[in-house]
Order: sequence, then C-alpha cells, then structure tokens
Amino acid sequence: MHELSLIESMLGIIREERDKHGMTRIHRVHVVNGALSGAVSDALLFGWECLTQDGDMQGVKLEITDAPLLVVCGSCGREFTPEDAHCMACPACGEILGHEVKSGKELYIEEIEADIPD
Amino acid sequence: MGKTVTIVRNVMEANERRAAKLKDFFAERRILCLNIMSSPGAGKTSLLERTLADLKNEFRMAVIEGDLQTDNDARRVAATGAQAVQVNTEGGCHLDGSMIEDAIEVLNLDGVDILFIENVGNLVCPAEFNLGEDHKISLLSVTEGDDKPEKYPLMFHISSVMLLNKVDLLPYVDFNLETASAHARKLNKDIAIFPVACRTGEGLSAWYDWLRAARAAKR
Repeated sequence: MHELSLIESMLGIIREERDKHGMTRIHRVHVVNGALSGAVSDALLFGWECLTQDGDMQGVKLEITDAPLLVVCGSCGREFTPEDAHCMACPACGEILGHEVKSGKELYIEEIEADIPD
Repeated sequence: MGKTVTIVRNVMEANERRAAKLKDFFAERRILCLNIMSSPGAGKTSLLERTLADLKNEFRMAVIEGDLQTDNDARRVAATGAQAVQVNTEGGCHLDGSMIEDAIEVLNLDGVDILFIENVGNLVCPAEFNLGEDHKISLLSVTEGDDKPEKYPLMFHISSVMLLNKVDLLPYVDFNLETASAHARKLNKDIAIFPVACRTGEGLSAWYDWLRAARAAKR
C-alpha cells in the first residue's frame, strides 16, 4: 500500500506544472499506469480521494489509463501481450521463459486539463 | 473546458533523482550496495547475520535496517560486530531514497566494502523504489509457496539474485524449486538462483561466491 506516497509525489509534480503554466483551476489529471508498475489503479484512486478531500486539489478529477504489459519473446523475438500473468506462453513459438519486458513498468502523468488565462 | 497540457512526467521522478545521487555516492566510494527484499519472516536478518559473521575477515560491511517499528533487527545485526543503523518507517511499507540519505549521514562508510540495505518486509512496494543500489536481492522462503515469483512479478523481474531460503524444510512443505525458479526466470532469464538454509548454512557458499564476484566488479 505505497499508493499514498505515489499520490503525494504526483501532487508535487502537479503543483510544479500548475505554477509553471500559470494554471488557475485544474479540472483533470490523466495518469498512465503500466500492468507491471506495482501500483494498483483502484488504490491510486482511493489515495487520490483521501489526499484531495480538501486543500488546493479539491475537486480535481484523476483519470487512469491502464497500460498493458508488452514483452519480447526470449526465444523467437515476437512481441506480445501475455493473456494473463500466470502462463506467458509466446503465441508464436510457445516459449514461456526469458521474455524481456518492453513496456508495462511505467507510471507517469500524461496530461493535465486546466484553465490557463491567455 | 480548460486547456490540456501534455506533461509526461514519471511519478517516481523525485525518488529516481535521489537514487541517481546515491548511486554516484556509492560509485565514488567503491561501495557495493545491495538492497535485500522479501516478505516478513523469510529470513533477511538471518541471512545478514550469517553473511556478516562468515565474511567478517574478508570484507568491511555495514547495514541499513528498514523496519516498521522496533530496533530488534539492528541489534541482531550489530551483534555480529558490523556497523548497523536502524531506519524506522513508522508504518511505511518501503524504504525510499531520502531514508537512505539520512542513514548514510550517520554511518561511517570509510573503508566499507559492502553496504546491505534490509528493506521492509513486503513483496510489493519496495520493488518500486530504487535506492541507488548496485543490485536488488530477493529472498523467498520455501514455506511461502513456489508461486510467489509468479504472483509478484516486478520484485523478481528487477532482482539480480533470488535466494530460496529454508531449504532444510523442503521435506515438510510442498515447494517445488523448479517451479519457483521457472517463474522467476520468465521475465528475468539471467537471475542467479541460490537455494540456501540460513539456519544450517547449507548453500551459502554459492551466495558468498556471488558476493565476492559482485564486490570485485565494483573495484
């Protein structure tokens, strides 16, 4: 349950971006969470709710897109998204060992929607 | 409707910056830093007690002990004669870079060859926080079940070593070394796997050889 500290880090970044771009009111924050990031999207949403109940981020909506795990087969090099984390058989050659993670570990803020006076 | 600003900033960036600084710090001083992670009770402290005692004539070693509360582990480790500092996370489920910065302030790292960081017992959260270490070491005990590398893929994916502890109990539990190893290798084909028993000392010489090689690579 480290999602609360992740939300704290996010809030720090959002405040920096708010000041940098002169945002007067933030409507929405969009985050991308990879399947192998270690953070659970529901727990992130709950942490967001807890830490934005009042204060400067009150009413800001957090949106999360879950990004799939993408691996490269350790045997034939085929890129694929395992159907489940249990058996990661390559759809081309059936290899289950030694796959390389191409993406899915990421957790980043993609965009912020806000009022910015011209 | 407001304006949409594209940001693309890693949520972990503050910790990543700290970790990069710590990595430089350890590189300058030629200290091999190892981050040891496992569930509670898998045997991290026992592994350290053994290692510190068995290799004390070979290396100067120090330990950062992460714990929710209490300094029991730090005292156990200090009993071997190694320098130890306790970091209480006060309920926090992992160590982060700022805690390591605080800990190295109080340790005397002059001439230290190997710094062990014993992370908080947890197979999920510590995996996400880099601490500037050279290697992450996962410890799994056979009483926990051979499906753990499959259930906690990130932890084993990012580890250089998986130690399978308590193999002296293998006759009494349904734990298949092959199954656990295969799951760990699924996303990490190069992971070094050492079956050990910290209670009896079985298998530890392979772990010590790995430590010697990692230490030599850091000089």
